[in-house]
Amino acid sequence: MRRRLWPRGLRARLLVTFVLVTVLGAAAAAWSSAGSASTALVDSTQRRLTEATAAQIGALAPQLSYPPDQAGLDRLRAAVGPDTLVTYRHLRSADGAGAALVTEELREAVRVRGRLVAQRVGGDGGSWLLIGTPVMITDLDGTRTPSGIEVYAAHDLGDVERRIDGLTRSAIGTAALALPPAALLALLAARSVLRPVRELRDTARRLADGDLGARSLPQGADELAELTATVNEMAESVQASMAAMRRMQADARRFAADVSHELRTPLSTLTAVMEVLEDAADGMDPDARESARMAITETHRLVRLVEDLMEVSRFDAGTVRPRLEEVDVAGAVRDCLRARDWLDRVELTAPAESRSRLDRRRLDVIVANLVGNALRHGEPPVRVDVSASPGEVRIEVTDAGRGLPEDVLPHVFDRFYKADAARTRTPGSGLGLAIALENARLHGGDLTAGNADGGGARFVLRLPRGMADQVEDG
Amino acid sequence: MAAILLIEDDALLRRGLELALGRHGHDVRTAASGEDGLRAFRSSPPELVVLDLMLPDVDGFEVCRRIRAVSEIPVIMLTARGDDFDIVSGLAAGADDYVVKPAQPTVLDARIRAVRRRAPGAAEGVRVHRELRVDTASLTVSLRGEPVRLTPTELRLLLTLSQAPAQVFSRQQLLELVWEHDYLGDSRLVDNCVQRLRAKIETDPARPEYVQTVRGFGYRFGPV
Amino acid sequence: MRRLWAAAAVALLALTGCGIQPSEVTDAGEPPTGVAPGVTLYFVDRRGELRPQPRETGRLGTIPDALTLLLLGPGGFAPGDSALRTEIPPVEHTRVEVTVDDGTIELRVPLAEHELSPLGIDQLVCTALDVHVRSGGSPATTVRILFTVPAPGSDRPRTCPLIG
Repeated sequence: MRRRLWPRGLRARLLVTFVLVTVLGAAAAAWSSAGSASTALVDSTQRRLTEATAAQIGALAPQLSYPPDQAGLDRLRAAVGPDTLVTYRHLRSADGAGAALVTEELREAVRVRGRLVAQRVGGDGGSWLLIGTPVMITDLDGTRTPSGIEVYAAHDLGDVERRIDGLTRSAIGTAALALPPAALLALLAARSVLRPVRELRDTARRLADGDLGARSLPQGADELAELTATVNEMAESVQASMAAMRRMQADARRFAADVSHELRTPLSTLTAVMEVLEDAADGMDPDARESARMAITETHRLVRLVEDLMEVSRFDAGTVRPRLEEVDVAGAVRDCLRARDWLDRVELTAPAESRSRLDRRRLDVIVANLVGNALRHGEPPVRVDVSASPGEVRIEVTDAGRGLPEDVLPHVFDRFYKADAARTRTPGSGLGLAIALENARLHGGDLTAGNADGGGARFVLRLPRGMADQVEDG
Repeated sequence: MAAILLIEDDALLRRGLELALGRHGHDVRTAASGEDGLRAFRSSPPELVVLDLMLPDVDGFEVCRRIRAVSEIPVIMLTARGDDFDIVSGLAAGADDYVVKPAQPTVLDARIRAVRRRAPGAAEGVRVHRELRVDTASLTVSLRGEPVRLTPTELRLLLTLSQAPAQVFSRQQLLELVWEHDYLGDSRLVDNCVQRLRAKIETDPARPEYVQTVRGFGYRFGPV
Repeated sequence: MRRLWAAAAVALLALTGCGIQPSEVTDAGEPPTGVAPGVTLYFVDRRGELRPQPRETGRLGTIPDALTLLLLGPGGFAPGDSALRTEIPPVEHTRVEVTVDDGTIELRVPLAEHELSPLGIDQLVCTALDVHVRSGGSPATTVRILFTVPAPGSDRPRTCPLIG
């Protein structure tokens, strides 16, 4: 109920409040002036009538025989006017409907006070002014005593009432006249108030959309300006903390990159001497030989890990640019498998030739990671299906294992994510799938993980074919 | 097997590579800085230079440029993977090939042998293509009678292309034929070498006459 | 907000109900006066002093009425006071023109100044003033007498030694 009475929009609320207040103010002003005017009107009318009545009585009284008889009372009543009641002891002279209005209260007042009194009453036909007075006998020494003659006159205030109604109507009219300008002013005020609000809203929206440089210019020195300044401060601090966070993130990434970089030289040395060690290992005693073999294996693993870390760092730094060239995808996949001696462990189906413009080395990285992952974690047979449509090249790598659990699926591309705690020490770096995904995206493509109908894990790589140039035959 | 000058500033890596390459039968001399390396090069020219690009004084590019200014001997760079700037700059400075760190001695050895094999030609006879004269026996090239000095790689590229004029070679084919790289060879090696070759034998390298680009596929030898 | 609506409602109610409200009995001033069982005339007694003589006329009447009665003399009214006499000589016309102005009663008498003694003048002044006061006039009112033959200063404002 209240909600319906009270509009919810800020503009509408401002408008209604403003108009209401203005009209109320105008109405109050008009009402008060109308009220005082009508009071003055009633007062003056009342004074005029009482004075006139007193004067009429006073003019006739000396001519009135005293003690009066019925004729005297009638004369007096006639002199005062219609709607008059004159009494003297048991004598009574009345005329008009108004005479019946005389209240006991008034007569009591006349008798007790011995003064000219007046009273306004609301009758059936409207308001009446009742005037009551004793007629006094004045002695030479100034003392006055009631003569016993009492005069009551009723005056119809209908005319006055009509004039007051006119005043009231004009007051209402004045208040109503205030309505249009009030509404106009309210609109203007609402606009001037709401413009900063709207600006603030736009700024807040831009901030929410990530434009942390968004600011509103505070105007004036009102609450809105303070609010604007506060929002600006908030944005400032958010921006500062975001910048700090980004700096920290960048620092962390640079740290990873620096660490990897620094590891490169010692790893190069290790790599260089491992072959020497390998050759010499055959002549060692069994323990030393095993140790040497372990050192060699772990060095190779370390090298792969550092290389992957550096690759990830480059993706993080955004310095990676693909070297696009015309590539026969099926051939590249076959080369990839052949180079790793996987051709007899993988079922490859591929069209005869599917040319696409992409980075050959990165395609190799993706395929090697996907297939290597399937060979390590899935069950044979591992299938690789290459297919090509006019728009994209699609490579599916499927294994026949148990597939990826639901809880693992969202994380397979996370860095260093290990699905099975028991298999933490796998030959992979833990970055292979993450790097594969980054490489797919670098080509404007996508890499998704899921499960095949048969239950095995299935990775689907989609790469747009880009601008495959026509081969110019010589 | 070859007299190699290894220029590498890190003492342990230098020694490690020296040991490893020594085991592959190479005669390795080492230098710890660019200046040392150039001095060693001048005092007794090696058959091949293995050059680290990150050197404390004169960097690898400058060393490579200075060597190229006086000699056509093969230069193999040691570079960081993915450091495209290093690779492109190194190739532009005249390096014949590069190996990414951490380099496996076996791989490095294979590259050394491949580079050195580029020198001797298998075919014999003299091929004349307009003003260009290629002597496959003496492995000399002359343009309008003037001898042209080519590095072994440039020479091998020219021989490979010119033995089958008009045949289009893909970059991958050229990488395998000239550089003996595997299927993931860096095609920039080819492009760079082609540019240097054109600079030496073409009248107008911007509009090549002999080594022509087949857009989107590779190169062929002209005039067709 | 509910308060604003309430204020609006009250204001509206007040605005519409703004007619003439009934009132208590209020005082409206002095009551009229002027009734009296008779009029008071002023004569001179045996000791030569001014003396009021109430005359039962049934009503107060006007100043000219009273002066007419005064000019007619003590007469046979109130036999016990037969000792009263008047110092105003008999006149043919007993009508006196009276003008009551603000604070002054002007009497135009059918007599010359020299025809009247001071007591006679007091008789005129007191009788006129008596009526004036009884019909509600101020006791401080002065009386100016215009004679048929005035004397210097004869039209000065006079007061009644017995009134005020």
